[in-house]
Amino acid sequence: MIYEAKVNDLASEFGVHRNTIRNWINSGVLPAQEGPGRRYLIQYEDYKRLCDKYGREPRISPDPGAAGEIAQPVNENVPKAVRLESKKNPFYSAPNLADICLTCGSCAGACPISGVDDLDPRKIIRMAFFGMEEELIESDWPWKCTMCGKCEVVCPMNVEIVQLIRRIRGQRDRDKVPVAIQKGVITCLEKGNNLGIPKDDFLALIKELGQELAEDCCPGFATPIDVRGARLLVTVNSKQPFAEPESLTWWWKIFYAAGESWTISSEYWEGVNWALHSGDYSAMRTIVKRIIDNIERLNCKALLLPECGHAYYATRYALERWFPESLQQFKIYTVFDLLLEYVNQRRITLDPSKNTKLVTFHDSCNYGRKSLKTFGHGYFDEARTLTRACCPSYVDLVPDREENYCCGAGGGAWASPFGAERVFHGRMKARQISTSGAKVVVTACQNCRDQLQVSLKREFNLNVDVCFLWELVAKSLVMPKRIVGEVQHG
Amino acid sequence: MADQSMNGSVLVVGGGISGMQAALDLADSGFFVYLVEKSGAIGGSMPQFNKVFPTNDCSMCIIAPKLVECGRHPNIRIMTLSTVQDVTGTAGNFTVRVIEHPRYVDMDKCIACGQCTSVCPKSVDDSFNSNIAKRKAIYIKYPQAVPLKYQIDPTSCLHLKNPTKCGACAEICPPGAIDFNDREREHIIQVGSVVMALGFQTFDPAKSKIWGYGVYPNVITSLQFERYLSPDGPTDGQLSRPSDKKPVKKVAFLQCIGSRDKNRCNNEYCSTVCCMYAIKEAMTIKESNPDLEVTIFYMDMRTPGKEFDRYLERAKNEYGVRFIRSRIHGVEPKGTKGDLRLHYISGQGQQVEEVVDLVVLSVGLETPESMVRLAERIGIHMTPDRFASISAFMPVHTSKKGVYTCGAFNGPRDIPQSVTGGSAAAASVSALLTSVRHTQTRSLLPPVEQDVGGEEPRIGVFVCHCGTNIAGVVDVEELAEYAATLPQVVHVARNLFTCAQDTQDRIVQEIRDKRLNRIVVAACTPRTHEPLFRKTLKSAGINEYLIEMANIRNQNSWVHNQEPEVATQKAKDLVRMAVVKVQTQVARKAIRLPIAPSVLIIGGGVAGMTAALNLAEQGFQVHLIEKTTQLGGNALHLFQTWNGEHVPRYISELKENVQQHPLIEVAYTSTVLSVDGHVGNFSSTIRTGSSRKRVINHGAVIITTGAKRYIPEEFEYGKIPKVVASIEFDKLHMHNETRVANGKSFVFIQCVGSRNEERPYCSKSCCTHSIQSAIKLKKEAPSRQIYILYREIRTYGQRERIYNQARELGIVFINYEMHGPPKVKKDGKGVLVEVWDHVLHRPLEIKADVVILAAATLASPDAMNLGNLFKIPLNSDGFFQEAHVKLRPVEFNVDGVFVAGLAHYPKPLEESISQALAAAAKAGRLLARKEISLEPNTALVDPVNCDGCALCIEVCPYQAITLVEYEDEEGTPLKTVNIDPVLCKGCGICQGTCPKRGVDVAGFTYAQLEAQIDAALEEEAPLEEQL
Repeated sequence: MIYEAKVNDLASEFGVHRNTIRNWINSGVLPAQEGPGRRYLIQYEDYKRLCDKYGREPRISPDPGAAGEIAQPVNENVPKAVRLESKKNPFYSAPNLADICLTCGSCAGACPISGVDDLDPRKIIRMAFFGMEEELIESDWPWKCTMCGKCEVVCPMNVEIVQLIRRIRGQRDRDKVPVAIQKGVITCLEKGNNLGIPKDDFLALIKELGQELAEDCCPGFATPIDVRGARLLVTVNSKQPFAEPESLTWWWKIFYAAGESWTISSEYWEGVNWALHSGDYSAMRTIVKRIIDNIERLNCKALLLPECGHAYYATRYALERWFPESLQQFKIYTVFDLLLEYVNQRRITLDPSKNTKLVTFHDSCNYGRKSLKTFGHGYFDEARTLTRACCPSYVDLVPDREENYCCGAGGGAWASPFGAERVFHGRMKARQISTSGAKVVVTACQNCRDQLQVSLKREFNLNVDVCFLWELVAKSLVMPKRIVGEVQHG
Repeated sequence: MADQSMNGSVLVVGGGISGMQAALDLADSGFFVYLVEKSGAIGGSMPQFNKVFPTNDCSMCIIAPKLVECGRHPNIRIMTLSTVQDVTGTAGNFTVRVIEHPRYVDMDKCIACGQCTSVCPKSVDDSFNSNIAKRKAIYIKYPQAVPLKYQIDPTSCLHLKNPTKCGACAEICPPGAIDFNDREREHIIQVGSVVMALGFQTFDPAKSKIWGYGVYPNVITSLQFERYLSPDGPTDGQLSRPSDKKPVKKVAFLQCIGSRDKNRCNNEYCSTVCCMYAIKEAMTIKESNPDLEVTIFYMDMRTPGKEFDRYLERAKNEYGVRFIRSRIHGVEPKGTKGDLRLHYISGQGQQVEEVVDLVVLSVGLETPESMVRLAERIGIHMTPDRFASISAFMPVHTSKKGVYTCGAFNGPRDIPQSVTGGSAAAASVSALLTSVRHTQTRSLLPPVEQDVGGEEPRIGVFVCHCGTNIAGVVDVEELAEYAATLPQVVHVARNLFTCAQDTQDRIVQEIRDKRLNRIVVAACTPRTHEPLFRKTLKSAGINEYLIEMANIRNQNSWVHNQEPEVATQKAKDLVRMAVVKVQTQVARKAIRLPIAPSVLIIGGGVAGMTAALNLAEQGFQVHLIEKTTQLGGNALHLFQTWNGEHVPRYISELKENVQQHPLIEVAYTSTVLSVDGHVGNFSSTIRTGSSRKRVINHGAVIITTGAKRYIPEEFEYGKIPKVVASIEFDKLHMHNETRVANGKSFVFIQCVGSRNEERPYCSKSCCTHSIQSAIKLKKEAPSRQIYILYREIRTYGQRERIYNQARELGIVFINYEMHGPPKVKKDGKGVLVEVWDHVLHRPLEIKADVVILAAATLASPDAMNLGNLFKIPLNSDGFFQEAHVKLRPVEFNVDGVFVAGLAHYPKPLEESISQALAAAAKAGRLLARKEISLEPNTALVDPVNCDGCALCIEVCPYQAITLVEYEDEEGTPLKTVNIDPVLCKGCGICQGTCPKRGVDVAGFTYAQLEAQIDAALEEEAPLEEQL
């Protein structure tokens, strides 16, 4: 049996862009032959395999009578029976990780990658409940999941699905964790940052960047390294010095304009914490402890993790879990808190006339619904206030805030080998963006930015610019006239 | 006799169906009732509904007579716009402070002409119409409102906000009823008891953005949907998309909005009614638009009530409503034209995206915050789900003595449960206040009846629009014009709702003004509405039988709704026939008989004992007969109620109270052999244990014969000793028998013998029962593995809590509906259960130590015989069929016979008790009257024509006819028949059988019927070419 379809039809069937279909065909993911009338001819088996991979119901079936019916597979295809018996379950002890599940399907309905590999959040919960641990640990699905938490937001019983996924990930042998993630964690533990950038290289780079900035627009600026008594300790994402160092200076420019007293640590400057993704609690704790040590060493009053939604989430989570007393000693800022403080205290002035395009804001899961759930506050309004302060023409994505769709690259997916699924996940985001009509997408997370800018824009032919919130703020700044020596320290 | 410390008045708080029922039962039982309602009119939620399940009756039509009855009852004082502030005192003697908020319209002066509304410039959202339409600042709640008096909404009135503005209504009001100076008034009322029927509000889905309610116009609530479908709603029953008024092609119902959810709201309970109302709404819309695609997205279809599962099957199979087991997480827009996108997971576990025109949110029920606070002020306990805290054994008693509760305030429930609760509360109040019965009531003597016998008929014809039910099809104007041309018709009027209270007043006035002496009402069915109009005739001072109804709705506009012209023609025919009949109608007098003040109760289970005790406390003699040697019935097998109360202790107390009550006589090993007589005066022959026969005279009878259990034939029951039925398991469990004591793994299988082709009904209590057993097992030893294999978990209402608790404890629930029933086989010493999982779609193997079958509840085999004896029907499952599923849930069309408990339908203990109290209320209400009037529609013998052939004696189903031999003046022996007017029901079989025109049924004489037939065949405006 042959399935005959145009690229357009396949794109709408799978909810992805035409480019993605072409990519699949070109890369052999979807073996297809070009036929007459710009149609592709696909063997039914190949088509079925693709449907199964992405959890879609095939449009055609060799047995039309069975469509919609749930038939038990015939003899040879019957899966091996699961034997339910009493056993201790290492995954969880609290019933709200699986037991109280109503099997209503809300989570699976909300999850953009439900059905991929024939799994979905509901099945994962069910398998955990039945004690099918080996199969779960073996499965790649928990690594394709971005732990975005959309499933939790909709769960009527408040099942803690993200927590469960993290525990499943944590159970995998470390040598089977997706290489990039595990390598990041190990490198960070051994060398102090995910990419293993040597201290000297790093310091030279940021000093040079500081000089350039001083020449460019911030007279008198010098990168503050290990400044004892600075108010604010700022961490760095190793990706930035490695790949796009100038992106660091957006923040620096803002600090300069705001007259902030801040510093970067020369050691253990990385804020990114991939142990959150690999479910390695001990590594997570170690990495956060280093930041605390830096704060104590440099006698700072506050901490800013500007790189990524998950850096803030992981650090805050670890602080609350293992170092609750340190939260009494210093304040942990999100990018939103700090920028809004500058604006409200009139420490910076923004000029919205520079941005005339229609702008939207993409809520990162970690700053949004996951912070709301874990820490009691999601940074929704702050993000919009700041974006609107820079851009008069603004539109929200639908849905947004708590119900926002993940970019598709969270939970370590950007570094994982499951690129096809990551793009498939991102189709929801791409659809949201293109229906909004926005020309600029603002976000506050490095990970979201990368997925949007590097992957989704190309895959879905999105005609948008993607930028960081602080990039937008930095570009909208009205720079103060400041003379050398006025920059405050401590 | 009257107790000085007790007061014979009762406060009923809440004017919904439950409060109204309590008020009516109490007022008829000799108590004065204050019916306090916070809005401007009584009726509660029912008037907002289009139809009611599972009968699909028009909701307004069935509640209207009750509204009117409440409105004109001499012993009910309706206090609208009133709220109870506090209640002090003790049972028997409470002092209540009621605040009456200003109406700004003098109720005595307002004639409800509506001119005020037409000039009022201020439009606001109409909450009666769920905000899909506007009303004015001066308004009536709904057209049939009781009392039918306008009111001003002070929050929107321009004049009240700024006295220099507007005031147009005061200027135009013909009787000058507008009173802008109206002020709040405080009333202090003394009552003996309080009934709280505080009702519910629907969940507000705007609280969560995720459903798009309030954001996308095409997302509406189920209550808004009801208003769209209602013929008296703002769209005249026509559904179109709110956003663009385009026809709707695809509708999705999302269940459990604001129910079974502890994330977006704190409503963990199941709202009980939403599954059924969604089916009803889906069916209704399919009926008028068969091509429309309707899908109901659900978790469990909870249709455990009587005839509910059949209703569900009909929706699936006859109406083509699609049911998908998947809870929808949210609604997103698709494009900019108003379409809505649903993204969900199919049963197979695949993503599906559907685009629909309209999303209906099946919103749950909750107690309004103001009512929670009122309960706090009065000092009654509430449950964590914010409903009145009640014991299953005392389902209408609050935690405060003398304060009773009913309706949805006791937990989410449907109309029959609310009506039953209202009656049950009345029974409990009657028992408490029986010593002061008739001390606060007043009786109004109807005006002296005029003798119109010799007068020329002067006929008044009243044509009813029934909203758009009739007027939407029949040309009522043409019909009225036509009626005016008929002989002896001197007056014709049209009414929007002829059954509304203000219309009754108008009919009375018109009878007097126009000196009418015969009335024709062209409206709906005499079955539900004739009693109402007869009362109206009575209050106008003419004989109540001088009326004829032409049913131009049920038998005309409803069935010919596609052919308006034919329907108009038929309406004319029906009216013409009614007119000729009423011309020869004669005045009749009801037969009045004393009532034997005692009750026969058949069946000594919990329902029977409860009814017996309540009636004895009300002061009536009770004969309780029990088939076995002991009282207790099926409850003897139960250990706890759903919320964990100990049943055996309660049963033994109840037994003791029954046995010791001086007014209750219990006869064991007794059955009913035969029944004679009629309401008020039954005489039943009982065979007692010693085979002695005895005759009991009683005024009423309550049937509480219970049910029996199904003996399973499936799942190797009887072959493997480790497979047991749930009742057997309870015994094993209680004695900690080795199978239970050593058991590590237990499997419960639900729906054994229920919901199949042979018994397409739900046994209602098994889900709860199995879950309770499972929880107990798990709590005893947490290492035990417990599995419940089910098709639908039906822990309706607050029972959902135990379902949640069970899952929290780690009990495994596996749905076998999708992949077929489990297989049970012997496996070594244990049992192997094979079943497929509904989530993973993979086979599971469970090694079980005990398998427990939740076996069905079957109708009692005695029911058939009793049904024949009392001439009452059974439904197709063998349970007794009540008079009206919704509004007469414990009564039959045969007067004086009531039913309660499992004999009616499988149900849990508290529902049996509530029903037993309701049956007691009905019996008590009857016996409190001391005298009964019987319908005089009986057969009369014409001695000239009757030759005593006796053919009629054979066919009379009521044994009312006897043969009489006599001699005429010449001594010739002659025969004729005698008809006992008390036994005769006027069915007319004798009349149809008689070959010699020897019998005539009063009101349906040969002459009248012939005249009607002639009138029917009379050629009027010929329509042949169209036919």
